[in-house]
Formats: sequence, C-alpha cells, structure tokens
Amino acid sequence: MKIVVCVKQVAVLGDEVEFTDDARDVDPDFLDASLNEWDSYATEEALRIRENAGSDGDEIVVVSVGDGDVEPAMRRCLAMGADRATRIDHSGSRDPITIARLLAPVVNAESPDLVFCGVQSSDAVQAATGTALAELLDLARVAVVTRIELDTGARRATVHRELEGGLVDVTEVDTPALLTIQTGINQPRYATLRAIKQAEQEPIQLVAAGEEGEPAYRVRRMFAPPKGEGAELLDGSAADIARRIAGIVQERLK
Amino acid sequence: MARDPKYDILFEPIQLGPKTMKNRFYQIPHCNGFGSEKPLSQAYFRAMKAEGGYGACCTEYCSISPESDDTHRVSARLWDDEDVKNLSVMCEMLHEHGALAAAELWYGGPHAPCMESRSVPRGPSQIPSDFEYLTYAKEMDKDDIREVQQLYVDAAIRAREAGFDIVYVYGSHSYLPQQFLTPYYNKRTDEYGGSFENRARFWRETIEQVREAVGDDTAIAVRMSCDMFMGDAGTQLERDCLPFVELCDEIVDVWDINVSGISEWGEDATPSRFYPSGRLLPWQEAVKKVAKKPVLGVGRFTSPDLMVDAINSGKLDIIATCRPSISDPFLPKKIDEGRLDDIRECIGCNICISRWEIGGPPVICTQNATAGEEYRRGWHPEKFDTAENADNDVLVVGAGPAGMECAMILGKRGMRRVHLVEAADDMGGIMRWIPQLPGLGEWARVVNYRKIQIDKLRNVEFIPGTTLDANGVKEYGAEIVVIATGGYWVGDGLNGCTHDTIPGADASQPWCLTPEQIMRDGKDVPGARVVVIDNDGYFMGVSLAEKLASEGKKVTLMTHLGHIAPYMHFTLEAPNQHRKLHKLGVDIVTSHMPSRIEQGAVVATHVFDEDGHEQTWEADAVVLVTQRRSNEALYRELKDSVGFDTLRGEGITACYRIGDCEAPRLIADCVFSGHRLAREIDSENPEVPKPFIRERRVIERELAAV
Repeated sequence: MKIVVCVKQVAVLGDEVEFTDDARDVDPDFLDASLNEWDSYATEEALRIRENAGSDGDEIVVVSVGDGDVEPAMRRCLAMGADRATRIDHSGSRDPITIARLLAPVVNAESPDLVFCGVQSSDAVQAATGTALAELLDLARVAVVTRIELDTGARRATVHRELEGGLVDVTEVDTPALLTIQTGINQPRYATLRAIKQAEQEPIQLVAAGEEGEPAYRVRRMFAPPKGEGAELLDGSAADIARRIAGIVQERLK
Repeated sequence: MARDPKYDILFEPIQLGPKTMKNRFYQIPHCNGFGSEKPLSQAYFRAMKAEGGYGACCTEYCSISPESDDTHRVSARLWDDEDVKNLSVMCEMLHEHGALAAAELWYGGPHAPCMESRSVPRGPSQIPSDFEYLTYAKEMDKDDIREVQQLYVDAAIRAREAGFDIVYVYGSHSYLPQQFLTPYYNKRTDEYGGSFENRARFWRETIEQVREAVGDDTAIAVRMSCDMFMGDAGTQLERDCLPFVELCDEIVDVWDINVSGISEWGEDATPSRFYPSGRLLPWQEAVKKVAKKPVLGVGRFTSPDLMVDAINSGKLDIIATCRPSISDPFLPKKIDEGRLDDIRECIGCNICISRWEIGGPPVICTQNATAGEEYRRGWHPEKFDTAENADNDVLVVGAGPAGMECAMILGKRGMRRVHLVEAADDMGGIMRWIPQLPGLGEWARVVNYRKIQIDKLRNVEFIPGTTLDANGVKEYGAEIVVIATGGYWVGDGLNGCTHDTIPGADASQPWCLTPEQIMRDGKDVPGARVVVIDNDGYFMGVSLAEKLASEGKKVTLMTHLGHIAPYMHFTLEAPNQHRKLHKLGVDIVTSHMPSRIEQGAVVATHVFDEDGHEQTWEADAVVLVTQRRSNEALYRELKDSVGFDTLRGEGITACYRIGDCEAPRLIADCVFSGHRLAREIDSENPEVPKPFIRERRVIERELAAV
C-alpha cells in the first residue's frame, strides 16, 4: 500500500500587505509561510490509514512543487511521520493546472494506491489541483472527503464527501483513486521537537520539472479593492437594531 | 501599519493654559508605591508611558506638607528641596519624550494618619476620618486656613522648580478642598461653611493663590468628585459641582472630573466586576457642558472607538487613563500605529490598586508583568533582547497564565522553537473558567491577548489536547523544559486555618464540590441548601456564593475570617460584592470554622469559642474553597523518578517550574513568574530571580559624602 500526499507550502498574510513593483504578486516581504492546512489533514489521514492497517510495508510519500523555500512544509509532513519526500524543482507559474501537469509524471511513477490532495490551498483557494491531477492521471476522483473506510483486500473505499447544506454523499470508489481531503476529517497530530529535528536531517529527493505547458491563466494586476461607501452604524436597543436589520434584509431581498 | 484616520482626533494637540499637550492621552494621577523616595523607579515608571505615547503623565497624590502624611500608604511628597530634586528626574524623563509632567498637590486633612511625621492634620471640622481609624484633624481657624493655603502655594512653587508643567489643587476622593465643599465633612458656621459660596471659598481662594504664584507658566488643574453617592451630605453635581465649575472656570486651566469619596472609591476606580468602561461619562459630560476649559477624566478606556466617541460626543476633551496605562503603557502608540490587536487591555481586576490599599508595595499588574519593574529590573514592556541561549528549543508544559506568558516572552526573546503543550483543547488553564464566574468576563483578556501574540510568533507553536508524562517530556526533544501545570482546589478541606483537613470533607462525594468541579467539570450542585466554606479570602468563595444564589440556591457563606473576602477590600470590590450577596439573600457566617462535614450538614464552631460549642448548618451541598495545592506530579516525576541527570543525558539541560505549579498565587504573580523566567532564561541560574535594584540608603555611600 502506498499513499502519495501532494502538499503545498502556502503564503500567510501578515497585518500589512504590499504588492511587488509589477503589481502582479504580493511582495514576499509581507508574507509568512506554512504547510497548507488542508494538506496537514491529508497527511494525517494517510498516517492513520497506515496505522490502522498496522502494516510496516505501507509507504507514505509527500510530493510538492516549488523551489527550496517550500521544503519546511515538506519537512513538517516528515516530522508528522511521512516516510519520504520528493520536491519537483520549479519556480515558474503556480496556477493549479500547471502544478497538476508537473505533479502527474512524478506521482504516476510512484504507482500509488491512493493519492491525497487537500481540497484547496488557503492562499489561492482555487480547489483545482486535485481534480486536474486526477484527470491527467486518469484516476477516479472524489472531492471534499470527510471520511474514508478502506477495504484493502477488495481495493475499494467507502468515502463520505461533504455537500452543501450539511448533506453527506456516501459513495464507493475503486482504488487507485485520488481523494481531496477536507479539514475536520481528523485531528492532525503535532510533531514533537525531536521529530522536527530529525526531519530536518532527512534528505528530500529532488526531481527536475517536466513540461509545464501553457499556464491556465496569467495574473495581470493585483490591487486592493476600492473602498466602498462605508457602513451604516445602527444605534439603539438590541430589539431596535434587530428590527432594522430585518428591514434591511427584506429590502435587499426584493 | 498606519493609524486609522478615525482616531486622528486622539492625536490632536490641546492647550492647557500656558502649556500645549501634544495629544489627548493623559495618565491620570495614580499610585505606584514609589513616591518621592524611590525617585528612579518613579521616573522610569512614568517615562515608560511617555515613551508609549502619553501626552502627559502625573505623579500619584503628592503631599504638600508633613501634616499630610499618608504613611503606611506611599504618596509622592514635595515637602522640601530634596523632594524637588528627586521628582525632577521624573519631569526630565517625561520631557525627553515630549510629554508634560503633572503634580497632584494633596492635603489629606483627617484622612492622613501622619504615622511617619507624627504631625497633626488640619481639617474643616473635627470629625474622625471615615477612611482611616483613630485619625482626627485639628479644626481650622482663619490662621490655619491661611497657613494651609500657603502650604499649597509653597508646594506649587517647588513643583514648578522640579519641572512640573501642571499642578493640581486636588479635591476629589474626599481630600481637603473637597472636604470644605462637602457638608458631610464641613460643619462650619463661619464664612467657610454653610452656603455653597462659603463651602466653595477655601478651594477657590487656594486655586487663586496657587495661580497667582505659578500660573503664568504652569497649568492649573482641579480634580473634583461630582457625586459622592451619599445623598445630600455628599458633594452633588447640580448643587455643588456645576456651580463650582462656573465659579472657578476662569482660574482653572483643566478640569479633571470623577466621582466617589475615599471610603468607597471603587465607584471611581471601577472594578470590571461591576462596571464597564466609561462609567463616569455622564458626570464628565455634565461638566463639559458648563466648562469653557478642557475636561479630562478616567473611565478605564481601552478601546480607541470609545475614546473617540467620548470626545466627538462632547463628553471629554482628553482621555485620561490609569489602569489601562499600567496594563499597556504603549496604548497611545499602538493606536497610532494601527496595532490594535497588540493592546494589552486592562481587565479591571484592581490588583494594582490593592497594593496601594495594602500600604504601598510596588504596583503590580495581571496583564503587564513589567509594570513597576522598569527601573529595578530594567524590563521594557515592548523590547526584548535575543536570549544568549536562543539556539535552544523549549518545551513549556501547561498553557495557563504562567505557561502562556512564558512561551510568549521566550518567543519574543527569539528562542529557536518554543512548544507550548496543553492537555485541554485550548489555551487558558484556570483562566478558561474563572472568567465565567459572575462579573469576571473581562478577565478573559488575559487569555485573548496572549493567544493573539502567540499566534503571531513564528517560533512558538501551541499544541492542544496533548498530555505529556515524564517519558513524553524526556523524549520530546527540547533542551529546556518549563513545567507550568498549575494548581487545584483541594477536595479534603485542607486549609490555612486549622492546617488540617476537615473531617468528612470529600469531593469525590456527589454532595461535596470544589470550584473546578463546579466551573470546569460541570458537576451538579445537588439540592437547595448550599454551604460555601471559604478559607481563601479572595474572589473564589464569594463568586461561587453569588453564582449559586443567582441560580436559586439558599447559600450560606462561611469563613473563619472576620470578614468575607478581605482581599476584595484592597481591590475595592468589597462594598458592591457585599451589596450583591446581601440582595441575593446569602447568609454570611464569619469567624466560624467547620469541625466536621457530613452528608446534609456542616458542623462548625466560632473561632474564638474556647469551649467548642458546635452549631449545625443543614446543607444539601458543600463547596470547599479552603486552599489550593500545586499540580506538581509531572515535575516531581521528572525530578525524583527520572532524575535531572537522566534528563541531561537526553539533552535536556534544564527543567524549571513556574506559576501555581510551584506554589499557588495570584494570577498576576503567575504571569510574573512566567515572564520572569523567560526574561532570565539565559542568566547564570534562571531558577533563582536575579537581584533587582533596591532604591535605598546605602550608609557607606552617605558616610563617604560627609
């Protein structure tokens, strides 16, 4: 059993934001970085599947696309317990289709039983990489997964996926398959300082990026949205304010 | 980040007579335990607020004469030229930051016990103080009036000489000028008593004389209480205060408006338990409508929106803060820089004030561990040196007040990695449930502030829902371990009165409960009749009594002490807490200690009854607020079972404990404990606090100067 988890080191906005001189990106001086929250759940789910199976032969491989700066996110996954990590060396376009194209041959070469992606990344929030990768790998795909019951022998999984309005779709999928993992599916473990230190010493396999093709989109300009006309402040008792809000909502619904 | 333009008004200069204040942030007179005799502690303490952006900072009440000696409490003093020299340091340091310096000239009358000077205070009438025991004033004749007014003038001249820009003729809190204005104190039948004009005469003449002496280049401030909450006897807004403002507006440069007398000055320095921010605004607004001169006043303002609203709605010209400036001396600067989530908001616990009431140890603050430590320990609330051993990883076990503070400061000191590991699913420890006691919601700010800060620190990671045993700590991979596992209320009745358990007390029984069981674990309090046994003397017993009575229980609050919750006298919470419990029908039993507890009854004796007569209180439930103990199991296991030598073999060079885990203490002292360790994590022996500078006479130095 082998699970490949595709992870991303996301940018985290601080209190202030400025854009680069060409206005096509956020100035990196104003960004922190961390492992994408969804990917920590995906990694944890892979670790739990291995632990529940109790099979030492199972392997969890973390794959990411980027330059050397993205390695802290990968090392966080190693500190959590992933077995090895592969970085696809790339510093160009980061649109999800390009990323999926770069991931596909590397993931394919691993011949995994399961491929996990986070539902989305917290910085770009496009929720497209997993689906695009499934298409390129010709794998069955289930998105927004909140529960996995794996039948290894039958090479089949019963999967819960979250729909709008609190609905849950329970479906079956044959493996290999690609699942995009939703937050809340588990409680990701924390790495001890010792595990973090050990992960720092582990090698990360570096592979050259393949053909990235045409990007799915280009960023023309980033800017702060213009200020609106301002908010109306409601004064009065709680009942008065509630009545006013109800009135405004009714007005807008017309 | 830049300031939000909606706060611009707070940064507009304002004219106070001959002086210009650069913005609207004013540190109201308040005590700190330093006075004139710890001049460097005094100067550094006030200057920190000036550095943090305050436009003016004042002394605490500043005695004008040995006749106004408040010992055992600590005031500033301007009795002689030596005091001038000492207080001039404060003025110089404030001026360096562009802030004005103010002196609150004070004459206490009958409230000043003169325990050091052994002088006799003078007052309008001879009635003993309602604040201080056994203290009478000499009833002033006309010569006395002239002499005391001259004391004000002489002190004002000394204040100017020291470098003060603003001098007060301070009345509120029932001090001499206000005593003349108030029928409760003033029973005179001469031209200084009776009618409003007569009662106002002493104060007006004194202001005139001080103005005549120093007013050409010094701003004259008057601090007045607009309601003493004692009906006709006390000062009243319409009858006394507004006419006084009209009478004296011409000769006053700035009005400082508050409420209350001295014996219940918690109505002014309001605990958050009873009042929200801005409680004094109605009185301040009333004065502002009459006064042509600027009006300033307190209201425990921490929110810039409330400040702006107070100014824009015509209630105040200048935002005065006392406790919020202790909690965060950089409040103005953080508003200016748009860093609102970095503001360390005052929680209104009044632990700062308790120190003055106790008699003058240095000020402390639950939120700001550096308050009072600016000079003697050299601590800056916003600046942190990188630790010399910053290449170490630290494990902090327990995210209560001590653990949170320690992890935060270690993060700010640049330790490589700090892991704050907590058994529960969120930060806070005891501060997750204490703020759920009646009226204590604002105390949750202790957690909120630290949570936000820790979240911003990239080298600090919070790890919830994880319980570590000694082996877990050993294997964790840290070089430095800090144990902050807190404490607990005992379930067997062990207490500081009998130094023994209470026979029958057993919190494993359904009818016997501890504070944590009620507040944290949700253990049901059975039946209608509850006896709360309080041997602690601070907020826990009375808060639980109030909570249970509010829920409809018939509550008896029993203590071995002579008063319930005596420490709440120091925090000014006592009077209103008494009123609350009285209104809720809580039966208060003082000076009684249980001799045994059984299901259905508490049997107790009077602590001074040598014959041991027992009395029985029927009780469906018994709540034990007897004492706390440290949760030191993990520390003991590490030290005694695993052994520090073994830990060193695992690369753990040091293991410390902080907060309640070492010994139960005030929340403020838990925060201090965590802060202190983090500040000194790279000292020779971080376990032992480094010596602090003691401002004291050193006889060798003095003899050498002879």
